[in-house]
Amino acid sequence: MARITHLFRYPIKGLSAQPVSRVSLRQGGGFPGDRMFALARPDGLYSETRFVPLPKRQYFMLMKDERLAGLTTHLDVDTLDLTVRVRGNIVLEANLGTPAGILQLRRFYARVLDLPSDALPVFAQQPGYNFSDSAKASRQLMNSLSFINLASVRDLEQRIGRPVDPLRFRANVYLDGLEPWEERRWFGGEFSAGSVQFRGLEETTRCAATEVDPLTARRDIPLPRLLVEHYGDDVLGFFAEILADGELHIGDEVTVAAQPSVGDALRVGGAPRVGTAPRVGDALAEASDIPFPVVR
Amino acid sequence: MTTTRLAVRILDKRALTASVFSFTLGAIDEAGADVALPAFDVGAHITVATPGGASRSYSLNNDPADRFRYVIAVRRAPDGRGGSASLVDDTAVGDTLFISEPRNTFPLHAASRYLLIAAGIGITPIRAMLRSILAVGISDVHLVYLTRSVEETAFYDELTDPALAEFVTVYHRAEHNGVPFDFWPLVADPGESAADRRIFCCGPEALQDEIRALTMHWRPSAVHFEDFNGVSAFGELTSPFTAVWHPSGQRIAVSTQETLLDALRRENIEVPSSCESGTCGTCRIRLIAGAALHRDVVLDADEREHYLMPCVSRADAASVDAGTADARSTGERAGDAPTGEAAGHASGAEAAGDASGAEAAGDASAAGANELIVGPLDAQER
Repeated sequence: MARITHLFRYPIKGLSAQPVSRVSLRQGGGFPGDRMFALARPDGLYSETRFVPLPKRQYFMLMKDERLAGLTTHLDVDTLDLTVRVRGNIVLEANLGTPAGILQLRRFYARVLDLPSDALPVFAQQPGYNFSDSAKASRQLMNSLSFINLASVRDLEQRIGRPVDPLRFRANVYLDGLEPWEERRWFGGEFSAGSVQFRGLEETTRCAATEVDPLTARRDIPLPRLLVEHYGDDVLGFFAEILADGELHIGDEVTVAAQPSVGDALRVGGAPRVGTAPRVGDALAEASDIPFPVVR
Repeated sequence: MTTTRLAVRILDKRALTASVFSFTLGAIDEAGADVALPAFDVGAHITVATPGGASRSYSLNNDPADRFRYVIAVRRAPDGRGGSASLVDDTAVGDTLFISEPRNTFPLHAASRYLLIAAGIGITPIRAMLRSILAVGISDVHLVYLTRSVEETAFYDELTDPALAEFVTVYHRAEHNGVPFDFWPLVADPGESAADRRIFCCGPEALQDEIRALTMHWRPSAVHFEDFNGVSAFGELTSPFTAVWHPSGQRIAVSTQETLLDALRRENIEVPSSCESGTCGTCRIRLIAGAALHRDVVLDADEREHYLMPCVSRADAASVDAGTADARSTGERAGDAPTGEAAGHASGAEAAGDASGAEAAGDASAAGANELIVGPLDAQER
């Protein structure tokens, strides 16, 4: 039986995963408190007052800045109290609801990211916006949840002969009890988890952020290229939108509705389709420059 | 490959511990007089051709002001094989060794305060650093030296001298019931800047990992490790090279620390990208000339003749030494090809053409050694 094993939010883009045991979801909304803040590059395009959705490289994030993984952060999403630890030792306490706390955060990460002495990262927050990688593609994707099938991660581990921390994929919802890769057959349809009804939107094409070990902060496994070598494309996981309000709890059962036949055997036994078949998830490519919001 | 062409004599060889041996090397002319050696800075190392054939690198631990001596400490590997064992077992005072000139990948940068960390034979560059720091009058310096036991501690007497007591902690884990040294009190303060406080660490990978993990709140440019520059995170060799952006002719140096894509962006050349791991195909650019090391999983062999994924691919440094020969033979093949193909503009044949010949002819589309000529896609290629 398929169940939810873990739920995570990532309140600040690129910083630590924070486990939760339950979460209330609203139709058309995302995972509450997920990627609510980001650190934008000081010489970049982010503007607080004239904000437009930007490619992920305009922000500090793991695809480029693996050092971010070396600090353990915890943000209380209600009080906005942030604690940063190194091996359990507190190295920063700041309240992100105050200008002074935000300045402390910016100074701290200027040091960690080795910015020039006169540069500070920009604290990015925009009402109604989250800084997930997919947010630039559409409001619908921005307000989706990301899912990972742990059986698929285990299959990947077996094929590449190395352990793969599922947190490399920084998903909101982790599922187990499924067959490896079976999500690739049904992700485009509807399914329920706990009392929430979902509809799959897109598969997740993986980027170099997954190369970073979330514990050692070292770029150590070339996961996107290993995915391509072993399976023919760089997909692991999918996004799904919330169709009706409800709650998710760890342990909730996952039930897949009628399975669409399209996409069957995309992966299992499927021929590599690099460079030929249309790439699911290309909407996430920064090059696509899809205006926001593209859907609705 | 480092060349070991400098001939030196072993002037002194002595045991520092049961497994660590100090070698004093110098050059002597025919009249028996000392010859000055190439200068070095603290942190520098030399590569030694060992009698067994293997080359090994050793940090210089003597005072750089001594222009006539190099002093290295060699730890004989416990399994009794390899380069260090050969150097210890198969040499005697008076023997000639061939060495490289000193190179420094671990230079001592200026700061007001220092934390020095060494384990085992890693003490060799750190010992020289401590002396150098104290010599310029800086007193806010602390050396933590981890070894198994007193007997296995090279330079034990020197570093436990009461005159150094306030600067040096020698820690033998065995004497602390196996409890590892607690570095946190020493690294909790990251300093105001790199100019304020720096760490230099030399020791096994496990120690480096530990110190790196404990200093994640530091400015990374203030935390220095024995450099493994040139080896990428994925264990492949990475070398610097030059990219020439064809439309403008701009020459862009690409360091070991950045991708070609990063280097192009640094020069405000916009190349779209997505995965930055060689899998999605978004950042494809034209490869006009030069030997490329393709590391993507997108392009097929034919495409690799004309395109490159700059997020992962680089110039093929391995082709540098062999470059002339390769280019020559390719040039001959190009000469054998049908006229139309050989004359094709910016074709693969021309791209791989004889570099020196083309340079002499002033042909802008032929790449020099360790150089790639690249450009944007045409509108219809995008």
